[in-house]
Amino acid sequence: MAPEPPLLSMSGITKSFPGVRALDGVDLDVQAGEVHCLLGQNGAGKSTLIKVLAGAHQPDTGTIRWRSEEVTLRSPIAAMRLGIATIYQELDLVEHLSVAENVHLGHEPTAAGFVVRGKVARDSTAQLLKRLGHPEIDPGRLVGELSAAHQQIVSMARALSHEVRLIVMDEPSAALDPDEVDNLFRIVGDLTADGVAVVYISHRLEEIRRIGDRVTVLKDGRAVAGGLPAKSTPTSEVVALMTGRNVEYVFPRRPTAAPQGEPVLTVEGLSREGEFAPLDLQVRPGEIVGLAGLVGSGRSEILETVYGARKPDTGRVLVDGRPLKPGSVRAAVSAGLGLAPEERKAQALLMLESVTRNVSVSSMSRFARVGWIDRGAELGAARAATRELSLRPDNPDVPVRTLSGGNQQKAVLARWLLRGCRVLLLDEPTRGVDVGARAELYAVIRRLADEGLAVLLVSSEVPEVLGLADRVLVLREGTVVHTAPARELDEHRVLDLVMEGSPAS
Amino acid sequence: MTQPVSPPRDSTDKVPSAAETPPWRAVLFRADVRTLSLLGVLAVLILIGGITKPDEFLDTRNLQLVLTQASVIGVVTVGMTFVIISGGIDLSVGAIVALASVWATTVATQEYGFGGILFTAVAVGVGCGLVNGVLIAYGGMVPFIATLAMLASARGLALQITDGRTQIVSVDSVLDLGERDAYILGIPPLVLVFAAVTVIGWLVLNRTTFGRRTVAVGGNAEAARLAGIDVRRQRLYLYLLSGLCCGIAAFLLIVLAGSGQNTNGNLYELDAIAAAIIGGTLLTGGRGTIVGSVLGVLIFTTITNIFALNNLQSDVQQIAKGAIIVAAVLVQRRTASTT
Amino acid sequence: MRKGFTAMPQTPFTSRRGLLFGAAAVSAGALVTGCTSNESSADEPAANDQPAADDKPGKPVTIGYAGPQADHGWLNAINDNAKKRAEKYSDVTLEITEGSNDTAQQIGQIETLINKKVDVLVVLPADGKALTQVGLKAMRAGIPVVNLDRIFNTPQAYRCWVGGDNYGMGLNAGHYIGEKLKDKPNARVVELAGLDNLELTQQRTKGFDDALKNYPNIKKVARQAAEFTVESGQAKMAQLLQAQSEIDALWNHDDDQGVGALRAIEQAGRDEFLMVGGAGALAAFEAIKADNGVLKATVLYPPTMAASAIDLARALGQGKGIGGLAEFEIPSTVTCYSAVVDKENVDQYMPTGFK
Repeated sequence: MAPEPPLLSMSGITKSFPGVRALDGVDLDVQAGEVHCLLGQNGAGKSTLIKVLAGAHQPDTGTIRWRSEEVTLRSPIAAMRLGIATIYQELDLVEHLSVAENVHLGHEPTAAGFVVRGKVARDSTAQLLKRLGHPEIDPGRLVGELSAAHQQIVSMARALSHEVRLIVMDEPSAALDPDEVDNLFRIVGDLTADGVAVVYISHRLEEIRRIGDRVTVLKDGRAVAGGLPAKSTPTSEVVALMTGRNVEYVFPRRPTAAPQGEPVLTVEGLSREGEFAPLDLQVRPGEIVGLAGLVGSGRSEILETVYGARKPDTGRVLVDGRPLKPGSVRAAVSAGLGLAPEERKAQALLMLESVTRNVSVSSMSRFARVGWIDRGAELGAARAATRELSLRPDNPDVPVRTLSGGNQQKAVLARWLLRGCRVLLLDEPTRGVDVGARAELYAVIRRLADEGLAVLLVSSEVPEVLGLADRVLVLREGTVVHTAPARELDEHRVLDLVMEGSPAS
Repeated sequence: MTQPVSPPRDSTDKVPSAAETPPWRAVLFRADVRTLSLLGVLAVLILIGGITKPDEFLDTRNLQLVLTQASVIGVVTVGMTFVIISGGIDLSVGAIVALASVWATTVATQEYGFGGILFTAVAVGVGCGLVNGVLIAYGGMVPFIATLAMLASARGLALQITDGRTQIVSVDSVLDLGERDAYILGIPPLVLVFAAVTVIGWLVLNRTTFGRRTVAVGGNAEAARLAGIDVRRQRLYLYLLSGLCCGIAAFLLIVLAGSGQNTNGNLYELDAIAAAIIGGTLLTGGRGTIVGSVLGVLIFTTITNIFALNNLQSDVQQIAKGAIIVAAVLVQRRTASTT
Repeated sequence: MRKGFTAMPQTPFTSRRGLLFGAAAVSAGALVTGCTSNESSADEPAANDQPAADDKPGKPVTIGYAGPQADHGWLNAINDNAKKRAEKYSDVTLEITEGSNDTAQQIGQIETLINKKVDVLVVLPADGKALTQVGLKAMRAGIPVVNLDRIFNTPQAYRCWVGGDNYGMGLNAGHYIGEKLKDKPNARVVELAGLDNLELTQQRTKGFDDALKNYPNIKKVARQAAEFTVESGQAKMAQLLQAQSEIDALWNHDDDQGVGALRAIEQAGRDEFLMVGGAGALAAFEAIKADNGVLKATVLYPPTMAASAIDLARALGQGKGIGGLAEFEIPSTVTCYSAVVDKENVDQYMPTGFK
């Protein structure tokens, strides 16, 4: 590598959130003019690291050197002043402002200190857009009217409107067409030629091979490899670094006999435009079917469509051979489906309410006569359901918001247990759950399956899918690229499939 | 299966944010604190009233008066509380009361006597609530806008019906209900209706599936939907309920004022919302109590009463009302954050 | 409801002649020429050569009339009075606009009337201040404007203003009560005022207080403000009665809220005092005539001023003065007298009562 001192040098960065150690002593060196790629699975700490770099999070320990001087990035503005710009995956543009207004947001060119000089802003924006290869974008248009790709360009123009030395790009290609990706790479090339450093985050190995100079691999909050040559490191080595685990989860044993019986859940040709291609699958009683794929692969969308929360464009869902009314959650619930959604707090739990009320919410009418709830029966049944899942604390009156993540998930499972549901749809069931509590949750899920439930599981954590499911469908960008019994797959293979997409034999 | 609650167990320490006190006790305590603080405010007011005007304030007739004056807005507030708990808002309550009260007191309606007036008032209230509910639940309109539109059109219709004239009620059986002779064991019938609506409202909110669904929809509409609750139908019912309460309130107002006028129910929407909020109902939905709202109404009515008895003018009354709202909300935030 | 009442003349008694004419106009449904006012005799000849307006058909006059939306009984009566008065004259054509409370809309309506080149305009503005400009415009276009009740910002915007007298209402109510109670030691009086943030309410209260100063034996012990509505009248009166266990008289600013006040009085079972109302609603007149309750009198804010406005407009259009006055021209300001109507004279006023 270049002999000169690195532009940016982070060392020993740690950052903890309640219950999670997101970063555990990460080192990262970035040279001026290089494209430095960050690789890692979901939850490896990439997002936290770039937020530290952007000044959005303060590290607990560790030092950051910028051009050999130790600095503290107290706020996003402080980072910006140094010349560090970040383009987030979730674009942070104001839709109802114009392109020029967005680009200059927070540092508008002004006259007399407060009069915005719109013409100056528009002209400089037009220049930036030209430099980015998109002179056709009108600086006066509202950002909300632009395509996703153009919005990304605006976001980049905003980054470049500052005196910038380092740009962080978080999965910039995720929303782009191949042509647009080419343009993106050309821009990245121009930037690095000017001596600007780029920290590039992507799941796509082929992109990293094309434009990357060096690669740092994160896993479980640590940098397991720093500064690998991006073009020459073998894929197998990268994948091995990403997957090699310190923490081994204990997965429950699978039943020895393959699940018998007619499929309880059948999905036929189900699809949604732009989200996932026509999908067929069947789940039998006692069987756990896993969907493995990265963020954006359509996993959650599939589950929600099966559940009726989204209306399919084509295809249908059958329970016990009877088709469900499409796009109706109530029909799905009546037929015996239950969903434990990815965003538990936003989509499943009534955070101000007690555990009992959260558990009984889907079966209230069972404890009610003409609307009048028999609270004794309700409490008894809720307690029975939460005890069966060993929910802690064993007191159904506590507000659900005081529970730990794992116990909140158990409350959601207890809801469907109480309802007597027959098909459980689990979306990232261990998101936000402590490592220690995961094994218990896995055991619970397996036990429910053993008792005859059909389980459809979605997870971005490949080991989870492989360890828990009986059968695995591998998804890549909305399409099933491979189906196999879980025991015939390993993490390497699945990662190859989801990243490269080639269903090689 | 239904074993008694087990004694304190070692597993509580696994709960991350449970802190020192068992959380369920904190919840009970907090709920009590909220109600207690309102009762405290009411007690202070009674003290002030008793000191400044002992003879006039601490008097059975005055108690009857305060409760009677609270009845009309109180019934409206019970309905409003349900709507706010569900995460909605009903700005049209005052206008619905006005429309129901004038429709029920037209010459034509009065010919049908007591039953005709009562039925019309309630039917108009429910009808307006139905329109609100359909627009919001199935038309996808924001409650603020839909009920604002209802406010404008119901007031306009009320004006059209009356031409701005006061419609005097000449049905004796209706008028008699507002006289002292009709008091039952010293309790005015209007107050009995208010009490009944309060009790029924409390039971519905706390003991029925309807109440649970209301709280669920307000607490997290998406979660409620994914839990299999028909969120839209629930919303429809809620605005119907609010309309029903307005219809009942309109009838009470007809009895009280002996007339119907298009200016009736002036700014009821703000009074009802304010009472619910100082009663501890979250404007964002998901939490609220009928008891708190009713205490809020009683606090406002008592303030008005004390001010009137002391011959203080409306400017001072309005300032005090604003101050009470701010103080009550601040006290509640404080108690909520310190427990 | 009665926001429009705010724009009152600064000096209610601008001239004696205004007072005179006011008295005449108030003598309702009646006469302008051959004025029967107490102070001028009908057969006294006009002191000028200018012919006075009379009921005989004269030069045809087109009067444009723009009033507010009739969302209150009193405003309804205003529009009715104007229409009926115009129908009475065969030489008057009334161009009447749809009543509106929207300032912009009313401006548009008046501009239309200007463009139609009506001879005279009678305007009761939704908001006197806001409509001043359009009044000026009409005057500049040579169309004289009769400004009814809610006064324009500047006298340049009207040829003649005719309106009610809020201070006089309070004054007359106070004198009436004062005379009734003058022999009663330590008499206690309460006041149920109208909407407190309106200037007219303050004027009425001021007049009432000024009148009571003449009667040292009378003390105003309480005042509460209602909102011109039945509902608020009932609520505030109930509180007043609870606060004052015994009173001798009550003045209520407005007969509409008086319906609620009477209801509260009935509910409290009180009858030891006399009540005086305000405005002149038909229901109040009927109660006064029946004389079976506390309501003994009411002080007028006469809607007949609209009829007088038509008379004045007609006189303007025909270039005539007013009988009984020495001037060649009609007055520039006419303030209607707030007469007290009690059992003695109620029959005379009954036809002017509004619902």
